[in-house]
Amino acid sequence: MIDYFALALGHCLLVLAFMRLVMRDSLDIDPAITELKEAADAKRSVGKGNRRRQRGSSGPEKGSAAQ
Amino acid sequence: MIDFIFLAFIGFVLALGLKRPYLWVLLYVYIDILAPQLIGYGVIQSVPVSLIAFGAAFVGWVLFDRKEGARFSLRQGLILALLVWCFITLQFADYPVEAQTKWDWVWKAMVFAIFLPFTITTRQRIEALALTLVLTVGMIVISTGMKTVLGGGGYGSLKFFVKDNSGIYESSTLATVAIGLIPVIMWFTRFGTIIKPHWTVTGFAAALCFACLMIPIGTEARTGLVCIAALGVFLLRYTEKRLMFIAAAPVLGLIALPFLPQSYYDRMATIAQPGGDESASTRMQVWAWTIDYAADNPLGGGFDSYRSNSFTYTIPVREQSGNTTTTQYREVTDEGRAFHSSFFELLGEQGYPGLILWLLLHGLGVLQMEKTYRRWKGKTDESEAWISPLAAALQIASLIYLVGATFQGIGYQPVMLMIVGLQIGLYSYITRLDSAKRALVTDQVSRRPNRDANRRSNGRKSDPELALP
Repeated sequence: MIDYFALALGHCLLVLAFMRLVMRDSLDIDPAITELKEAADAKRSVGKGNRRRQRGSSGPEKGSAAQ
Repeated sequence: MIDFIFLAFIGFVLALGLKRPYLWVLLYVYIDILAPQLIGYGVIQSVPVSLIAFGAAFVGWVLFDRKEGARFSLRQGLILALLVWCFITLQFADYPVEAQTKWDWVWKAMVFAIFLPFTITTRQRIEALALTLVLTVGMIVISTGMKTVLGGGGYGSLKFFVKDNSGIYESSTLATVAIGLIPVIMWFTRFGTIIKPHWTVTGFAAALCFACLMIPIGTEARTGLVCIAALGVFLLRYTEKRLMFIAAAPVLGLIALPFLPQSYYDRMATIAQPGGDESASTRMQVWAWTIDYAADNPLGGGFDSYRSNSFTYTIPVREQSGNTTTTQYREVTDEGRAFHSSFFELLGEQGYPGLILWLLLHGLGVLQMEKTYRRWKGKTDESEAWISPLAAALQIASLIYLVGATFQGIGYQPVMLMIVGLQIGLYSYITRLDSAKRALVTDQVSRRPNRDANRRSNGRKSDPELALP
């Protein structure tokens, strides 16, 4: 009887845990690491954009400086 | 009937795994620990559930997993080296047939321990594995603990699910694993996300910890008592109110007193006098024999090399007739006594190379968990606060295992190898987390010179004198 109780309790809790896990994307994709990577990528692309803009705006300036 | 319930559960998890293949890894963990095929006595015995679960876990990982962040770590390399070395010693084993029998389960446990960390790539997976370990071991612990509280126990007389003195169903092994898992159980009361902290979770965890403490009492495994004492000492480091903790120990002891049968006192009394107990005194003899054996065979003698030992010694035997107790010294000959210690098990079976690999594997685990604990200690953010306490819990699990392993041959214990896998998974994960954080910070720092340059160039634009010299 005690054995059946322990087995039933353990299996019910495992089913509960597995049911919750199956619903979660975070089981396969870690949100913390993904967030950090996305933030790094976003900042990198913003930085690139700034540099490109800077190059774009500094181009004619160089020309005028050469004149 | 119970066979169908087990099969239904296994089928259910296999079905869930179609969406999340990692659940197949957890299914294998559950089957390997609980051994439902041995609990049932009908159709389940003819179904190779363990093989199915391992096949599903491996194929699921190879075909469907993202494998993002999966890396081969140094400790996996150590397990692989030990596995290869075990295979080499198997070729010149003293007892080839017996060695082959042990090899048949050891290689599977080691291969799974090498494979497991590849699958643990997210926080949820780390927690899910820890929860599966706790709940699966918990089933055996709850049953044993309840039997102890309700009906007493006894060394070798307490019935587990499986009437087989192997794996986790060996009383001292169960006691060591159960005591070692207590800090992990308590971790779930504060940091669990699958089953979130709640008073019911705390209540269940407290009852489970109590049941874990009952294992050494119910099974009268002396090693378990040593592990409880060691746990108390290790926990002191992480306890803020140390005095209260020390004061609580005798109270816990008093609570346990009603559950202790007389045979328990008799058996525990032999810890202090090893000469009076055959098992304990043989242990010392075997250890001395192993050192001599390793001197002659530094590369080990393969699995089960202890079978060649033989000891003759005198022990006191007490006999009671009426009110008189007489003590007689009798000569006893023991042959083929097991190592009774993992350190000597590794030394005798795998020689010094195997022992060094094994010590490195577990020593490195303790160090890595210590490093992780210190690195992430005091973090309050929800995404980081859980790391340091889990590292501390897994470090204590390792230390308790090493204490328990001093007195029993559990050097290749599959459950412990799974905990090793969990430690490797956690360490790899926090290394990735750390490098992602560093990448973000480095990115910001490396852009600072650009920003400064921008400011300077903007400054030039705003200052005509500087822009047009």
